[in-house]
Amino acid sequence: MELIRLTNVLKQYDGGAVTALNNINLSIESGSFVSIIGPSGSGKSTLLNMLGALDSPDSGQVIINGVDLAKQKDLSDFRRQEIGFIFQLHNLLPNLNVQENVEIPLMDAKMSEKDKHRRALIFIEAVGLLDKRKQKPNKLSGGERQRVAIARALVNFPSIILADEPTGALDTKTGRKVLDVLRFVHESINATLIVVTHDRDVAKLAERTIEIRDGQVINDYYNR
Amino acid sequence: MEESVQTTFNEGGAEITVTNATNIGGNSGLLDMSFIDDLKNVTNVSDAVGQLSVSESPESYSQSKNIMGNMFYGINASKLNLAGISDVNGSIFDENSFEAIVGVRYCELNNVSIGDNITFLGHDFKIVGTFETGIVMKDNAAYISLDTLQNISDTQEVSSILVKTSEGANDTVVSQNIRDKYENVSTLTSSEMSSMLDDVIGILDTASLAISGLAIFVGAIGVVNTMVMTVYERTKEIGVLKSIGWKSKKILTMILGETLVLTTLSGIIGSILGILIAEIGIRLIGTNRFSLVYTPKTFILAFGITIIVGIIGGVYPAYKASKLAPTEALRYE
Ligand SMILES: Nc1ncnc2c1ncn2[C@@H]1O[C@H](COP(=O)(O)OP(=O)(O)OP(=O)(O)O)[C@@H](O)[C@H]1O
Ligand SMILES: [Mg+2]
Repeated sequence: MELIRLTNVLKQYDGGAVTALNNINLSIESGSFVSIIGPSGSGKSTLLNMLGALDSPDSGQVIINGVDLAKQKDLSDFRRQEIGFIFQLHNLLPNLNVQENVEIPLMDAKMSEKDKHRRALIFIEAVGLLDKRKQKPNKLSGGERQRVAIARALVNFPSIILADEPTGALDTKTGRKVLDVLRFVHESINATLIVVTHDRDVAKLAERTIEIRDGQVINDYYNR
Repeated sequence: MEESVQTTFNEGGAEITVTNATNIGGNSGLLDMSFIDDLKNVTNVSDAVGQLSVSESPESYSQSKNIMGNMFYGINASKLNLAGISDVNGSIFDENSFEAIVGVRYCELNNVSIGDNITFLGHDFKIVGTFETGIVMKDNAAYISLDTLQNISDTQEVSSILVKTSEGANDTVVSQNIRDKYENVSTLTSSEMSSMLDDVIGILDTASLAISGLAIFVGAIGVVNTMVMTVYERTKEIGVLKSIGWKSKKILTMILGETLVLTTLSGIIGSILGILIAEIGIRLIGTNRFSLVYTPKTFILAFGITIIVGIIGGVYPAYKASKLAPTEALRYE
């Protein structure tokens, strides 16, 4: 079943001087695992932001679950319930500790505080940070911060997980562990997983790889 | 400020002060003693007394603590009440003697008290009593026998005549009658005097309002600046919260709440600090001429403005930030 459809998506910056996305047409199946690969500055992050309803195109359409995002007034419910976004830069709140950061998306969830804590701890454990759950982000290493961001993105069981270079700051071993967590959630709740990477080995783990360059799709293939 | 000025002004005994209007040629015109009896015959005048005022400028400013110089009033001892002096601590000077009663402020400035001698126009006067009227001019002066002052300053005249009106009489009418009857005099009723003082108080009040206003304005700019900076620095945080799915309204409510707490706290701390500094300041200056008056109006005004500008300074940038696409807000560092 089709989950996401992009038609003629154009995104420019600096008054047209930079074309980050140039006429992208794309369809992504529900429950699939897709990797996006390409050189630095090719438009990978910009594309992921469109898919996660964090940004809107200058022209063209973004349709998720049959809904045209441009016609939605308030996307906050959609973001909170459907999307788990892992930023290239982790974007944790510096004043909150690990556990509090992970619990932010559960703020409005209809569950008891105890259940929220339990849910958060499950994911903190999964990314291997149980012993650091009371630490502030500035006391963590870059890789640890990225793992907190992953736990935060997954905690409300999103139907779409968008990860921008989730393993970029990590060594190979930790990177694999993180990917395992992502794949585990993808498989266990049948979430759609879209991962941006510049690492071909990581890209190969996905069912499908989309290669982009200069804001255009230059290659789109299945890995098995 | 208004309150503190008013406490230093209370009414003297006489309702009308008569002085010579032909004040030409440097030497202020004096009045003949016979004029006192003339005035007593004016309708509705119950009493009148002559008063001579002579001042001696200090030989050098460094020698005298009172840069105004020494002011001596000569008056009949039995008519002191017309000069507004009702309570004398000690005893009153004898007529024709070299005794003086002095104001409390005079004592303070010259460090003298009852029993001490003070020198005026080359004569020694013994302080026999002190008084306090609350009027700075009088409390800074000495009162002696009129005859003595006339003798040592070589005059037979008086500088002003203090007129008491009959009970129930209209002071303004009596004052007008005096001016009509005697062309060369000017008169000043106590109510005219106090309205003149009211004008001064009004000016002081306007000045203090302007100062408070300026202080509040400067404070407001500070509050707006702080809030704008605080929220600006949090634009990224707003981006994070938006990307995780927080509603703009919820983000704004949170920032509004924080702004209120912040501005209320700073208002309270500011008020406490303000009072402390004012109290310490007035003790350091060591004056009792002014007393500190706190009007609720000023505090409410300052508080209200703090909170309003805090909200404007805090919520407006927050509102703008909440309207940004999450990715744009996230780009702020
Ligand atoms: N907010 C912005 N303002 C101006 N230019 C931008 C902005 N965001 C992205 N760009 C430009 O758009 C192009 C695509 O950027 P994007 O971040 O999507 O690249 P990327 O593929 O994610 O690169 P990297 O691998 O380095 O993260 C780049 O040339 C970038 O400079
Ligand atoms: Mg990128």
